[in-house]
Amino acid sequence: MKKTLKCVLLTLLTISLAIAATGCGKSEADAKKVVIYTNGDEEAVQAMKTSLTNSGFEGQYVLHSLGTSELGGKLLAEGKNIEADLITMSSYFIESSQNKHAMFKELSFETDALETHPSFYAPILSITGTTFVNTELLEQKGLPRPTSIADLTKPEFKGLVSIPDIMHSSTGWLLIQAIISEYGEESGKAILHDLITNAGPHLESSGSGPIKKIQAGEVAAGFGLRHQAVAARATGIPIDFVDPIEGNFSLTESIAVVNKDNETTDLAMKMAEAILKGARKDLIVNYPVALYKGETIDQVDKPAYPKGFAKPLTVELLQEHQQFFNTSKSGN
Amino acid sequence: MPNVKPEMRVIFVVILSLFAAFLFLPLLILFARSFEDEQGISIANYMSIWSDRNMIEASFNSLKVSAAAAFISTILGFMLAYAIHCTNMYRPLKSVLKTAIVVPMLLPTITYGFAIIYSLGNQGLLTKLAGRSLFDIYGFNGLLIGYVIYTLPSAFLLLHNAFQSVDKKFIIVSKLMGDGTLRSFANTILRPLIGTLGGAFVLSFILSFTDFGIPASLGGAYPVVATQLYQVMLGSIPDFNQGAVIAVLMLVPAMFGIWLLKRLERLNFHYDKLADTELPRHRIRDAAFGFISIATVLGMLSVFAVMFIAPWLTAFPYDLTFTLKHVISTFQSSDLTRVYVNSLFVALLTALFGTLIAYSAAILNVRTSLMGRSALDIVSMISNTVPGMVLGISYLLLFNGSSLKGTFAILVICNMMHFFTTPYLMAKNALSRMNPSWETTGELLGDSWFNTVWRVILPNSASTVIEMASYFFINAMVTVSGIIFLVSAQTSVVASKIKELQHFGKFNEIFVISLLIFFTNLIIKLLCDYLQKRRTVN
Repeated sequence: MKKTLKCVLLTLLTISLAIAATGCGKSEADAKKVVIYTNGDEEAVQAMKTSLTNSGFEGQYVLHSLGTSELGGKLLAEGKNIEADLITMSSYFIESSQNKHAMFKELSFETDALETHPSFYAPILSITGTTFVNTELLEQKGLPRPTSIADLTKPEFKGLVSIPDIMHSSTGWLLIQAIISEYGEESGKAILHDLITNAGPHLESSGSGPIKKIQAGEVAAGFGLRHQAVAARATGIPIDFVDPIEGNFSLTESIAVVNKDNETTDLAMKMAEAILKGARKDLIVNYPVALYKGETIDQVDKPAYPKGFAKPLTVELLQEHQQFFNTSKSGN
Repeated sequence: MPNVKPEMRVIFVVILSLFAAFLFLPLLILFARSFEDEQGISIANYMSIWSDRNMIEASFNSLKVSAAAAFISTILGFMLAYAIHCTNMYRPLKSVLKTAIVVPMLLPTITYGFAIIYSLGNQGLLTKLAGRSLFDIYGFNGLLIGYVIYTLPSAFLLLHNAFQSVDKKFIIVSKLMGDGTLRSFANTILRPLIGTLGGAFVLSFILSFTDFGIPASLGGAYPVVATQLYQVMLGSIPDFNQGAVIAVLMLVPAMFGIWLLKRLERLNFHYDKLADTELPRHRIRDAAFGFISIATVLGMLSVFAVMFIAPWLTAFPYDLTFTLKHVISTFQSSDLTRVYVNSLFVALLTALFGTLIAYSAAILNVRTSLMGRSALDIVSMISNTVPGMVLGISYLLLFNGSSLKGTFAILVICNMMHFFTTPYLMAKNALSRMNPSWETTGELLGDSWFNTVWRVILPNSASTVIEMASYFFINAMVTVSGIIFLVSAQTSVVASKIKELQHFGKFNEIFVISLLIFFTNLIIKLLCDYLQKRRTVN
């Protein structure tokens, strides 16, 4: 029995040492690996991975997916001490963390973007908000086809609307921007209050929540990402999108390199360029908004009422709008 | 007991300084941060937290759902233990039940949530079998089921152990004296177990109250304290001081619970000697309890059934053709193999160093006359009180700027501190039962203290050491709450990877790696059981 124990102890020790050895060897190799943090969806992550593989960077990076709010929190709290060397993230978060920590390196390459952007990031994709409906359910319930966000606040839509929650989802912000732009804060508050009341349990923390509820036939109308609605309609299910007269607002997500002043930063910069050059052709399929010269999109992908918010999008503005959302929610 | 040797002092000092640096200091910093705000030191953080409606709602929800889960777990755990000890159920069935009920312990709690979604959700396996949606799982119901599954094994084990020291002779005596069924039950079963029943309730309550995995996967629209804490620390506007306050608030019920457990221990009483008594035949009782226990365990396991089925189907629940593609693609992704190796690495190191420290601490406390050795009991009590999330946050606050941040070392240390108590008590228990004069004899024969420990004490407690290592390993494999704040992209472990996969709703991958954790733990558990058994046979 003493033998058994010694054997066990020795095996344990050997295994640990072996793993420790490989682990250490690995972590040395890992030290040179570029750590990428991204808030991107699965399609975006896949497009980035493909472009990195095609450029011969396979095995030289570790990619870590986080929610927008998690990654945003890390950027604001940690600054340059963040583990990541390269990030893709909502542009407003990149700008705010640059203002706070001056943490990003100037991009070493030129882009031919359609709109100007700061030199420390470059947009990789853009998402646009719209309303959409389940046509079958509308008919079944005898509901009129809505043309605006305000239409969804009518009492007949009670319990049949799904919207994303701005506290967790940047898609939710697109909805709030549309409401505030069109109606101002005063009457906007009443509209949002009624909308939240109508949504009830269908206030979704994920931006893709409403389209899923529409597909499942749980609600008749919702607000979410335009490209998802277009794609859903193309599969033949009874879904249609309705560009709301309040406007289709957009958010871009961008790529930026954390300035750590070492070799990894240089490698990260090369990867950023590779992603930008290589991934756009895949990204524009899933996120059909032209961002660079020479890109074209189908007519169906062009929103009817494209608009931009009057003030620049920053984290501070987001917080203001979250506040607006919360007071509308509880206000009478 | 042997005289105090310098080497004992050295080990003692090393162990105490470890706890000072990685348990006391982080907690102190946590307390300090909770009183800190822009103006300096004040209780403003504590005041402002109660103006947040969400936080009040979350506290209330947490209390409500944890208490309900603890209540159900205690009752079910009691019935199962009763069925095993006080009925003449078919014996093999008893041992199957005993094994099956601890199965959930081999899985991370974050998996429970996903298993519940895919079993009882709108498209779930059990929902389909039942033909309709049974109830809404996102909220109170889902959390309740998850917590009950999570705490039932612990509650059962506690009661099972207590039943072993109940003298069943008294049941027969009570019957002979003409007691009615109720009275007999109250006097011979309930009264001796009342302390343990209370203990099972308190333990289940604390476990539920401080768990992060289940609400992380199911919570959604139903805020509880654990998810609030996560959001405040890692949400879009992180507020570490606010987080510290919530962590302290999470610590309070845990502290109260541990205090209550100590008080409840006094209600326990001990029989002078236990007689192995054959119970009278009672077919109805046996059949009823057999049915109840089978139903409970099957109900519990049926929730996990989906995990073993879904990854092998093309697109559960829509396309039910068999496929290997999910499993193959999961294993082909270099990402997951890397994370799995990380997990094994962390679990093995935790088992090795955790056992070393817990065992040394127990030897020093039980088998030496070292001054101040009872400090180790206090250490163990503190470590037992601190919930994993609280420990994790304390580490985040203290080590964020240091070179320990994002290393494997911090994960191993966190696990060691978090899971110290149980193995320590196992070792203490085993070591105190051994002849106290062995060290002296060894010394007289010319062996050094180390030699005696290595050649006499250790071999005689081998089975305990194996049990300790297996406890550390399995818990390090499944823990989420302790390490969720400490993992980085490079030190990501399987349990935290599940949280990342959740972001994309990749359920098949989640189930495949849950199975990986499950089978790894199962192998370790069976191996340790086998080694232990072989030792007792010898």
